[in-house]
Amino acid sequence: MSESRFATFTELLRARAAELADEDVHIFLRDTAGGTVAEHLTYGELDREARRIAACLQEYGVGEQPVLLVYSSTVEFLKAFAGCLYAGAVAVPVPLPGEAGRDKRLNRTTAVLQDTGAKVVLTETAAAPEVALWLARNSRPDAACVVSDVPAIGDADAWRPVTVRQDDYAFLQYTSGSVSEPRGVTVTHRNLLANQAALQKLLRTTREDRFGSWLPYFHDMGLVAHLLHPVWLGTHSVQVTPLSFVKRPLRWLQAIDEYGVTVGGGPNFCYDLCVRRVKDEQIAALDLSRWRLALNGAEPVRPESLDEFAARFAPAGFRPEALRPCYGLAEATLVVSGGTPGTPHVRKDFDKSALERDRAAGAGTEERVQTLVGCGRPVDIEVRIVDPLTHHELPPGAVGEIWLRGYSVARGYWKRPTETIRTFRASLNDEESGFLRTGDLGMFDDGELYVTGRLKEVIIINGRNVYPQDIEWAARTVSPALTFGVGAAFSVDAGREHLVLIQEVRGAGSAELRTVAQKIQALIGKEFEIPAGNVLLVRPGAVRRTSSGKVQRTLMRTLFLDGVVRGEYEVLTPDVRALARADDALFGEDLLRPEGADGGRRW
Amino acid sequence: MTVPSALTNTHPTTAGGGVLPHEWLMDRLSLYLRRAPESIDPGVPLAEYGMDSVAALSLCGDLEDEFGLEVEPTLLWDHPTVTALVRHLEQVLPAIPPAAGAGALSAALAPARDQR
Repeated sequence: MSESRFATFTELLRARAAELADEDVHIFLRDTAGGTVAEHLTYGELDREARRIAACLQEYGVGEQPVLLVYSSTVEFLKAFAGCLYAGAVAVPVPLPGEAGRDKRLNRTTAVLQDTGAKVVLTETAAAPEVALWLARNSRPDAACVVSDVPAIGDADAWRPVTVRQDDYAFLQYTSGSVSEPRGVTVTHRNLLANQAALQKLLRTTREDRFGSWLPYFHDMGLVAHLLHPVWLGTHSVQVTPLSFVKRPLRWLQAIDEYGVTVGGGPNFCYDLCVRRVKDEQIAALDLSRWRLALNGAEPVRPESLDEFAARFAPAGFRPEALRPCYGLAEATLVVSGGTPGTPHVRKDFDKSALERDRAAGAGTEERVQTLVGCGRPVDIEVRIVDPLTHHELPPGAVGEIWLRGYSVARGYWKRPTETIRTFRASLNDEESGFLRTGDLGMFDDGELYVTGRLKEVIIINGRNVYPQDIEWAARTVSPALTFGVGAAFSVDAGREHLVLIQEVRGAGSAELRTVAQKIQALIGKEFEIPAGNVLLVRPGAVRRTSSGKVQRTLMRTLFLDGVVRGEYEVLTPDVRALARADDALFGEDLLRPEGADGGRRW
Repeated sequence: MTVPSALTNTHPTTAGGGVLPHEWLMDRLSLYLRRAPESIDPGVPLAEYGMDSVAALSLCGDLEDEFGLEVEPTLLWDHPTVTALVRHLEQVLPAIPPAAGAGALSAALAPARDQR
């Protein structure tokens, strides 16, 4: 399948619309009080609606500026996304501002609004009051809130086609970067088309494939692989809302069954959710035999999760070889590598203590084995393993930073020239230039790419990238006793990733400590949507810093795991307690825990 | 696409065969918080045990399936402890059979408090 005749995704979309006018491009499964309602969108409707919305954007004089897209329906989102393409504007998919909008410093959508300087926000009728209120609260009454699903807005016949070049921006992906320093990855038409071609080669997708997703449209894997790849191929996708999936993972599996979905996936945690939440009799009623690619990416892939899912859903006809671990990131548009469809994924046992020191060695003694899942072979992209300090390439088998070069690699970060040069224009061996530094650690073994860890301190839980500085900043806001304290947030692996926050506290009585910790935990659980089961409140000075004042998170993590750091008050989940307090059991845990039960420990 | 109620009607039952929502609730919380039910103090905010949005929404889905109750996604943040949650559920769940209704919910909580 050669698609090189298209210079832009816009050209491709117009060709699809002409060829497949009456065919479905997307089916959105809307949750209503009376059950699920399927809303179909055809290629012809998508084209007509895109022209109408583009005409409206032209009236606003948007030009090549960013436009925020805020939706709950993916049918309305796709129309608006196509509308931006037709108008030559830069689409910026973002989540609904939600309740967190009350505190603008915690809100990702607000951060993106400010970072892009967008003057137009496209939304739908149902979300319009929330969006208008959010704009007013954030002192942006000048930004226009345009409700795109009102037919009277925009005239499709008034649309004037614009000239778009391959290296013009198609959209911005704000999946990377912290809330305090958001980074919009600038994806050009060339990047998008190159990555679509790579996806096709990697997954061997055809027009016979059907895509089924629960991922949000503002997630790179959701947008590029599940919403846009079907358009590139000329087939269709089915969408379950993220809220519906998390409430009932069965909904996604039912959609896969009902619509004959062949390709669909998400981060590792979504497979765990299915295993834990779907009941035997529900599995018995499912047919998952046509699901040929269950993609697993966007967070570390765990062999246990793959095994449990394959075993649990075998009675529904699920094939274990459908499980497809892959590696990708927003900075490379999406996909980098994956295994060969139809063949089992690759695993290898490594020496755990060597991996912890970022070295690779075959498995030694049995109790120190870590099984890693291979993320396949790269397609259409140059991948090098590099010493992150010297920037020299490492020999095969060595662990180093994963560097990338190719047409899928995005131009950079929106309006951040310094960070763009540092991240996207790295020089290798002082001779080759133009490499993307991924910040991920990995290695090649027999041609297979293994991702072993992260150079950056980003925490990945529930498929979400969370930046430690955001957590540390947010925690300090809950009590005056924390205002001047330093915090260190990091993750530890206790069967799965767990967040740990070590926070300095001063001027709080011992009776208040637990309340302070609970406030932090509620804030993180609700606003960051990840569990905050491990919080240690420590004396001022206990969080180590460099001479320049930078928090030493990696050192704090080591001290915590070694049992050296103890809180004035601390609360730990059972798994993490077993990991970091292993020695306590030797001395009789009860003696060390006057609090008893499961609450905090006080010294 | 709707789940037939027969599939989800798997209430844990007592020896007498009645529905016991408290045991059911603690069982679900235990699953989502990955800790033993007896280690969950009904008076302690669930966030202290690592409650997050995924766990909170999971329980919302269960409540809707088990009791046909439409709940707000913010339920677990508005009623952050087991005690508060049960108190709220007693008010909005008139349909629970009398044997296991409001009284049973409260009564079932008492032994859990003693287990601390």
